This record gives sequence, structure tokens and C-alpha cells, in this order.
Amino acid sequence: MSIFPENVSTYGQEIDHLFFLIAVFVIIALVISVFALVYPIIRYNHKRSPRATYFTGEKKSHFRWITAALFLLAMSDFVILLAEHGAWDQIEIDPPSNALHFGVTGRQWNWIYTYPGPDGKLGTSDDVVVDSLNSELHVPVNTNIAVDLKATDVLHSLYLVNARLKQDCIPGRTNMRWFNITKEGRYDLACAEICGMYHSRMRNFIVVESKEKYEQYIKDLYAKNAPK
Amino acid sequence: MDHSTHQLSFWRKYVFSTDHKTIGAQYTITGLTMAMVGGFLAYVFRYNLAFPGDSIPLFGHLLPQQYNSFVTCHGMIMVFWVAMPILLAGFGNFLIPIMIGTDDMAFPILNMMSFWIFFLSAIVLLASFFVPGGAFGGGWTMYPPLSTNGYVDRDPNFLKALFSGASMMILAVALEFVAMLMGGINFVVTTINKRAKGMTPFRIPLVIWFINIATVIFMFSVGPLVAGAFMLLFDIVLGTGFYDPARGGDPILFQHLFWFFGHPEVYVLLLPSLGVLGEIIPVFSRKPLFAYKKIVYLAILSAVLSVVVWAHHQFVAGIDPRMATFFSIGTIIISIPFAGIFLSFIATLWGGSIKPTLPMMWALGFIGLFLIGGMTGLFLGSNTFDIYAHDTYFVVAHFHYTLFPDIFFGFFAAFYFWFPKFTGKQLKEGIGKLHFWLTFIFFNSTFFLLFFNGLTGQHRRIFNYSMFSNVNREPYITFEKIATISAICLILSQLLFVYNFISSLRSGKKAVKNPWNSATLEWTADSVPPHGNFHTYPEVYRGPYEYSLPNSSSDFIPQDVPNEIA
Repeated sequence: MSIFPENVSTYGQEIDHLFFLIAVFVIIALVISVFALVYPIIRYNHKRSPRATYFTGEKKSHFRWITAALFLLAMSDFVILLAEHGAWDQIEIDPPSNALHFGVTGRQWNWIYTYPGPDGKLGTSDDVVVDSLNSELHVPVNTNIAVDLKATDVLHSLYLVNARLKQDCIPGRTNMRWFNITKEGRYDLACAEICGMYHSRMRNFIVVESKEKYEQYIKDLYAKNAPK
Repeated sequence: MDHSTHQLSFWRKYVFSTDHKTIGAQYTITGLTMAMVGGFLAYVFRYNLAFPGDSIPLFGHLLPQQYNSFVTCHGMIMVFWVAMPILLAGFGNFLIPIMIGTDDMAFPILNMMSFWIFFLSAIVLLASFFVPGGAFGGGWTMYPPLSTNGYVDRDPNFLKALFSGASMMILAVALEFVAMLMGGINFVVTTINKRAKGMTPFRIPLVIWFINIATVIFMFSVGPLVAGAFMLLFDIVLGTGFYDPARGGDPILFQHLFWFFGHPEVYVLLLPSLGVLGEIIPVFSRKPLFAYKKIVYLAILSAVLSVVVWAHHQFVAGIDPRMATFFSIGTIIISIPFAGIFLSFIATLWGGSIKPTLPMMWALGFIGLFLIGGMTGLFLGSNTFDIYAHDTYFVVAHFHYTLFPDIFFGFFAAFYFWFPKFTGKQLKEGIGKLHFWLTFIFFNSTFFLLFFNGLTGQHRRIFNYSMFSNVNREPYITFEKIATISAICLILSQLLFVYNFISSLRSGKKAVKNPWNSATLEWTADSVPPHGNFHTYPEVYRGPYEYSLPNSSSDFIPQDVPNEIA
């Protein structure tokens, strides 16, 4: 059984792999340091070692053990930073240019979705806003999705656990993040930043469906909401 | 010098005392009392997490609003009303004057005021539970706009807004900072000016160094937060718009001001406890502290680095992604000086003659647990993994693995070590060992499994997890139950400590002057030290850790023994 919930996004793998990479370093370091801690407690117990050896550790020859350990730690830090740098740039700095844009707005205690409408562009007259309790966000599968995150009242945070995405929604700002979900299905969409009394109920779903189904959904939605 | 000839009234001796030891005891006891409040809150919300909807024994039904308040106040109380008074003010007051060989603080009356302002701050915080709407429940970080207007609509009535949970919490924190600043300036001035003759900088015991470094970090970083907190208060009470985007403000500004203080604060809490380890480990290894001078330099380095890591709390808050890389590097680099300090402590053990006494057990337990806490920080310092782990139980487990050993193991180590000095009684060993092992085991069984709940994506501050498919499944439901039952056992185990404390005070064996054969100055004073500490001012001839010196008949040489005698 995996220690992570199912990953369904393109970059989720990289985050999961990064965890295991850091875990390797951490477990090695833990084993060494627990040994360094526990061994002397047993070996140099006052019964076995009635008189301590005097050394202050101020000399270079004594301190070089610590220096060596710190050097190894710095090297592992460096490897971790290198490994994560690529993923960070991909997730946070360079959203793909061909992404389909959606608007997601947090409001106590519900999510408001703005669909790009049949023309596939956000910010045009055919946008459809869905603002009702327990509505679901419909997106097409295998498509780069960019979300413009906003909040109307307090801080919220869009949390798609299966896509490994978390991003705060800030009143007065627009934060843009992207994801690409590769498997159709219905996944949790939650709020991860405390936003008041019913913070825990601010949970919807993201419905990932085939492109045809999604286009049909948008057409129906537009027909229902289009100005008569 | 010897002040014991003064006849002081009860009020001047025990309540409005200017004696550093009494003030230290006042801070410590207030801190422990607040720890009971914080522990009770933890019990209530942990019970709700394991058994949602059940009526909670000794409390009753918990509402979502109360749950939020309790989670918030648990964090607030444990950091500002338990850790700060016990570790910084308690240790600082008890130890600084007596370990540098002087009679009292530089400003004893300021010291007394510091405690009473702190006491007032605790009252204000506790009173906020009883105002309409209850105590503030928007997270201990008090992020606006939830703290300004989103929580309950801002009341245009000035008085009602002032007596809301949010503004009372800000006032309480502000008073607490005033108290700690008064105490802090006292610590630094006393250490600089009142050291015994011959107490050169590198003859000062490590704990005194660390308390002072912690105090300086605190004083340096608290200014921006006080400014930020007052802007928050003005937003609530006067209706200004510092954090209101509709009127040109920015909620992210508060996060920067908060964490510019908030991250150095964790080192403010960590350093005094690490200093205590630096005193205890050499005594019970009968060896000089390994690389004492280098530890001091490493601590100063980490203090400098601590003010350039704050935005790692905001990786997903929408700060510029390029800036996040800088803070990620800073965060991962700060692991190096702290690793150096811990490794030096461990190196002190090698080649020693180790006595596993009670204070030593707490000290070693501290190191063992902190290794886990510190190293899980590497995962979170990586900004990419933090996208996933941010605001999950992985973070919760991580900071409990750092702060719990820091606050409680550090405190108990110090308590069991210096109890004979400041009370004149020996603590009972057997019951103390039982207390240690129960605390150690139940702490681990409370928090270790929560790392896995975090990895499955369980996010924080949720009243009821049953609607989240990643959490509402086995084994995570069982993990929650184990954590809750262990937490209850952990809290109950502390009754052993209370019992040991009271019964040792009443019927403990009389303590000798220097029961541990320790070399620092406080052990040359009487147990209990009188008002004024020493009969004559001691003079210092050597460093604080002269244990097992070759060609010496005794295995330790106290700091005040002249060279010709040694």
C-alpha cells in the first residue's frame, strides 16, 4: 500500500519521488546519528568507563569529525535542492502556454467556478459562473488546466490532494496555478486554509471527464445560463 | 551582598518579590498552570477527532466554532504562555544571576513588573474565552482578513469590537511581548555588566550564552510583529484598512510581519533548552563540553540565519516563486549549524563516564526525539514537497517533534537538575524514571503515526474528517484513535510529575550543596540560595566545564577554585 493517496496528475510523480529521495538521506542520517547517540551511552557507562578521557574538542583534529559530518549534510542538502529545483520551476514558475483557463473563487464556505464557455477563453462574454452549494468543477482529462484563484472574503486554499496541488486564494490578488490530470474520475477538492466556522465543510469535487463529455457539459451549461 | 537579614513582609517576599529566584518560580508555575489549560484544550479536540460527535468526558459536546477556538488557543498558549515563560523567562531568571556569580538582576523592579505584566496577559487571554463569540478561532497565526472581519462581522461599536475574541488575543500577546522585552533587556544588561570577577566571555556557561542569544533574536525580530499586531488591532477596533484589499491594504503583509518574528521565535524557544543540555551532558559524562567555543559561534550563526528563512511558511501563499527558492535554500542551510551543535553534544558523550541520572535521561531523550523533529524539517524546507505537505498533519507531527522535546524534555531536564539547588530537597528517583518513560513512550505513540496521516494528505484544523476520502479510511482512522488515546495517557502521566514535585518538596531528602559534582558557580551557593545568592562575591578562575582533568586528584574543578589550589 502506498503511503500517498493515488496520484493522477502529470507532476504529482515528481513530488512523490522527491519525498523518497529526501527520505533516503534522512533515514541514513538518522541511523548514523542514533548510533552515535546510543553507542556511547552503553559503551561509556560509568560502570565500564569509571574515568572519562579529557578532551575539549577545540583542536582541529578533534573537530574534524563534526566538520566531516556537516560537509556530508551540506552535500545532501545540495543534492536535495538540485533535485527539487526542476520540479519547482515546472510547477510554480512556468505554467504551459496552451493551458485552458478556469476561475476558482473561494467564499465562506463554498467554491465559485468560472468556466471559459464554448470559446475556451476566460474573460470573454460567454463565461459561465456557477455559484451554488455543492457544485462540482468539471475539467477535461489530459489537458493543461490553469486556474485563476481568487477569494472574496478571507483566505482560502485550493487543495487537490490527488493532483498534489495546493495554493492559497488571497482577497485582492489573483494567484495562477496549473495542473494536468491524466485519469478520469471524481476527486476531492478541499480548502486547506482555515476560513472560519465551517472551514471543514468547504469540500467539493473536481470531475475529470473525456474531452467530448466536457464539451457537452459546457454547451449545456452555457445554454442553461445564456442570456435570453 | 547577603540580603537575608532584611525582614520582608509576605507580600514582598512571595508576591511582589524582586528576587530573581522567586520571579523565576512565578514564571515557571504560571507557565505550568497554562500548560494544563493548553493540555486540556488538546484533550478536547483530540477526543473529537478520534470519536467525532461523541460527548466528551469532562466537557460535553463540541461545536465547530469551539473546535476552531480550541485549536487556535492550544497553539497560542503553548508557545506564548508555556514555552516563553518557562524556557526564556523561567530559565533566564533562575540561572543568569547565580551562574554568572552575582546577587540579582540589574533591574530587579523592572523584573518584577515584567512578571506581573505577563500575569495580566495570561488573564486577558483566558478572559477571551468568556466574551460573546468566544475565544478567537482563526488559527494561532491570526491571519487577516479572517481575524479582522471574516470571523465575526466587525462590530462598529468600539467597545464591542475591543472585547471580541480576536482583539483580546492581540492585546494579550502584546502585553506578553512587553513583559518579555522587559525581562529580555534585564537578561542582556545583567549578563554584560554583572558578571563575577574573572568571568570572561568564554568562561560563561553555555546556557547563559544561549539565553542571551535567544533574547537578542527575540528583541530583534519582535518589532515588526508588534507593528503588525497593532495594525491588526486598528483594523478590528477602529476600522482602518491595513489588511483590507478593498481599501488598498494587503493581507499578505501581515504574514510577512508575523513570520519575520514567528520563525526566529522557534529558535528563541530552542536555544535556552539546548543551553540546558550543554550544562547537563558534561556533568553526567564527566567531560568538558565538546567544542564549547565553536558551539557558541554556531549558535550566533544560526541566530543570524534565522531571520532569512521566514517565508518558508508561505510557500503556497502566492509569494513570488523565485523568492521561494531563496527561502528554501536558507531553510535547508540553517540545518547545518544546528546539526553542528547537536553533534557536539553527542561527541561530548564519547569517551565519557556516563551516569544515566534523571536529568541526563531527559537530556538524551530530548536529543533522540529532536533528531526526528529536525530531520523531518528537511522535507518541509524543500519548497516543492511543501506544496503537498503544507498545512497537513506532516507539519503538525514535525513541529510537535521539535517543540515538545524542546519545551517539556528541556524543562524536565532542567527541573530535575536544579531542583535540589533551588528547593534544598532531592527529587524521588524511582517515580521520576517512571514519569520519564511514560512521557517518552506516549509522546511517540501520539505523534509518530500522525506523520503518515500527513502523508496521506490529512489537512489541519478540520472539525470532522469523515467527508474526506483520503483520510476517512484505514489505517488512518485507527491512527487517529491511537494518537488520541496516547495523548490522554501522556497528559495523565504528568500527574506523576505533580505528585513527585509536591511530595519531594514536603518529604524529600535534604540536598547537599553540590549533589552532582558540577563545576559551575550556582553549586557553590547554599541550597537554597538566600536572597542575594552568595555570602561573598565569587571569583572565577577557569571555564565552566573542567571535568576529568589529567593530573588532577578530583574529577572536576569548580570555576571559583584558584589555580594554586587546583
